[in-house]
Amino acid sequence: MKRMAAIVRVVELRKSFGPLEVLRGITFDVREGSVLTIIGASGSGKSTLLRCLNYLEQPTSGEVYLDGKPIGFRIEADGRRAPDTAANISRMRAELGMVFQQFNLWPHMTVLENVIEAPIRVKRLARKEAVDLGRRFLSKVNLLDKENEYPARLSGGQQQRVAIARALAMQPKVMLFDEATSALDPELTGEVLEVMRALAKEGTTMLVVTHEMGFAREVSDRAIFLHNGQIEEDGPPARVFSAPTSERCRQFLSKVLH
Amino acid sequence: MLDNFNHLVLPNINLLLRGLSVTAYVCFFAFLLAIALGSVACLVRLYVPFIRVVAIGYIEFCRATPIFVQLLWVNYVWPELFGFPKTVVGAGIIALALQSSGYLAETFRSGIEGLSKGQRDAGLAVGMTNLQIMRRIVMPQVVLVMAPSIVNQMTVVIKSSTLVSVIAIPDLMYEALKLVNTWFEPIEILTSTALMYIVAIFLISILAKRVSDHFRSKFGLAGLV
Ligand SMILES: Nc1ncnc2c1ncn2[C@@H]1O[C@H](COP(=O)(O)OP(=O)(O)O)[C@@H](O)[C@H]1O
Ligand SMILES: [Mg+2]
Repeated sequence: MKRMAAIVRVVELRKSFGPLEVLRGITFDVREGSVLTIIGASGSGKSTLLRCLNYLEQPTSGEVYLDGKPIGFRIEADGRRAPDTAANISRMRAELGMVFQQFNLWPHMTVLENVIEAPIRVKRLARKEAVDLGRRFLSKVNLLDKENEYPARLSGGQQQRVAIARALAMQPKVMLFDEATSALDPELTGEVLEVMRALAKEGTTMLVVTHEMGFAREVSDRAIFLHNGQIEEDGPPARVFSAPTSERCRQFLSKVLH
Repeated sequence: MLDNFNHLVLPNINLLLRGLSVTAYVCFFAFLLAIALGSVACLVRLYVPFIRVVAIGYIEFCRATPIFVQLLWVNYVWPELFGFPKTVVGAGIIALALQSSGYLAETFRSGIEGLSKGQRDAGLAVGMTNLQIMRRIVMPQVVLVMAPSIVNQMTVVIKSSTLVSVIAIPDLMYEALKLVNTWFEPIEILTSTALMYIVAIFLISILAKRVSDHFRSKFGLAGLV
């Protein structure tokens, strides 16, 4: 069922924070229905890359396209680039689901309220419709029985699964996972990886930043290794994880794997 | 002493209670106004760069001016300058509100700034607008987290309100002083008055503590700040 179209296209992406150049010309495509894993040492710019994709960070230069449409800028009639309106940027963001390392659930809302907030406010669904939708995604992450709990009453693994349901409820074209299991106790990572594995199987397009190398190798169609703000290694997971050509990637993997 | 209490305080209890109700009225509206002014000052300070200095000036002015001076200033100078307030009660409410709004603005600001960036990011990532995020995610949490400080500010308003008698608002303190000046028996009258203030403030604090403990366990608010 996997089609060949590039649903995400990143071209010469650069991002600096003041004098610090974090991303230094990143280019890649992600095919619809495929899983791309991004690995790299802490501070190598993985989060910044994901955050530039949905414009939580404004790229310094370069382009990001989602399904052929540029994110964050428009091409004017005369061919010049102009910044996009806030409303359009919000609309584009809604098409990319994001799961954060720290879950970032809204603590003053119940599990179900967390999940239906954006469908109601952003997509303007009727409440009843949103509730049906929300329950569907909560059952997908096996948390239907917790819909009336507040996040504080849930374990980290449960919170992260709610966060995944919240992102899915917007029915985005692409899911971004930024170290979704790094804040979890080891015994809780399994339940989250399980959900992510199921999504990958269903053909969800996913960009996954992770240190779970076994998982990455199993689910991804392609892996890239970031170093110094550039793609240092890029290829099918079997090759990137087992026989990387870059010395730095080899060093990084041996550190993470042992 | 008990005897004195019986024939000094009890026969005049209605007078004191009437004063107390004026105190409650003035404090209630002063506090509502303070919350409104404080919210505006805080939002301008944080999000409206070109008049930010005005908000900072306002906040600092309110916090730096003694309540006694503000009462006299609003009561005697404002009518000349701005044509209002028209009543002493209005002046008392505004003066109390001004001072508290400065403190509340700073309380709200620390609440907003203390909220983790991730809370907002999560809203942005699902396509919410800044306004929606402010209304649905930031504000409710600021109110919950800051509830104890907000209530504390309310008790400050009640304490400051004991000075409004200087502009002849017939509040509890005013009635008490009037009785003292009539009977020259300050001990019983002032003690009863103090007790009324203590009970009022105590009840408010207890209620606030109950409510905020409830929030804390329900929403895990400790993790918010
Ligand atoms: N908002 C920011 N302001 C300044 N520097 C930042 C900001 N976000 C990230 N950085 C810096 O950019 C670099 C890459 O960070 P990040 O993308 O979070 O790396 P990773 O996710 O790979 O650990 C780090 O040096 C970090 O300190
Ligand atoms: Mg990161």
